[in-house]
Amino acid sequence: MILAAAEAGDAPNGLVKIMQDFGINVPGILAQMLSFGIVVFILWKFAFKPVLATIGERQLKIDSGLKYAEAMKAKLEASQVEIEARTKEALVQGRQIVTDAQKAAKELAERLQKDAGEKAAAILAKAQEAIELERKKMLAEARGEITRLVVATAERVLAQQLSEPDRARYNESAARDLAQDVAAGKL
Amino acid sequence: MTSRGKQSLQLARQLFQLSVVDGVLSTGRVEGVLAYLEAHPPADPLATLRAYHRLVAAELARGLAVVEHAGDVSEFTLQNVAAALSARYGRPIASVSRPDPALVAGLRVRVGDDVYESSIAGHLADLAASV
Repeated sequence: MILAAAEAGDAPNGLVKIMQDFGINVPGILAQMLSFGIVVFILWKFAFKPVLATIGERQLKIDSGLKYAEAMKAKLEASQVEIEARTKEALVQGRQIVTDAQKAAKELAERLQKDAGEKAAAILAKAQEAIELERKKMLAEARGEITRLVVATAERVLAQQLSEPDRARYNESAARDLAQDVAAGKL
Repeated sequence: MTSRGKQSLQLARQLFQLSVVDGVLSTGRVEGVLAYLEAHPPADPLATLRAYHRLVAAELARGLAVVEHAGDVSEFTLQNVAAALSARYGRPIASVSRPDPALVAGLRVRVGDDVYESSIAGHLADLAASV
């Protein structure tokens, strides 16, 4: 409207004068504004929007990755806690197992020692019994041998020392004893 | 023992019973039994004769006292022993003398399976057994 007024030859007002003084070409400016708008539109449509979309996707991915990392961290911490708990439990169980094993080993050793002692005592008793039997056997053999020697010696001495009249008298006496015993029913 | 052996033993026992008269073995009966066996041999004559011989020998041993002795033994002593044994067994028992120096002194009398001993060797043996 200003331009139209100016071109119409109206007296130039201040504003028009100023525009003229500064060399402002309104149509040029409008054309530049239009071309700038077109460029902005094109840039927005084909450059900024895909880039912003890409940036948004990457931001989502980054956020997802961060969340995943946080979740993994939480899981890792939970796993660490669980591992520590299980480790403590395993340690307790291991100590219990070691204690039980030591106890069992001690009992086994005591039992073996006791058995060994009993076996040794039994062996000793058997050995003593065998020695006693052997001693009695030897004594019996010695007694028998001595008796045999005494009897043999007595028989030999009596056979040499007894005279025929002695034997005859002994025979008569033996016959009388035998007859009396038979008559008395002792034999 | 086989059936044949049993028959021989049974026959021998019957023949032995025929050989005894009034509880005493008769010589005439024994001779008669032997003559019968010779004339009429049984199924197993050897086994029958052996069994008969054992029975006769056992019967003779029952009536005989074997007096083993060391040193002299008078006939009177032997008769006393026989008389005592006859009274003991209730049947006539004869005595025979058999020297045995191993007795040292004394007597050992055998009647069948019975043995009576009164000798120094026997006393020493009893002593050795008791120790």
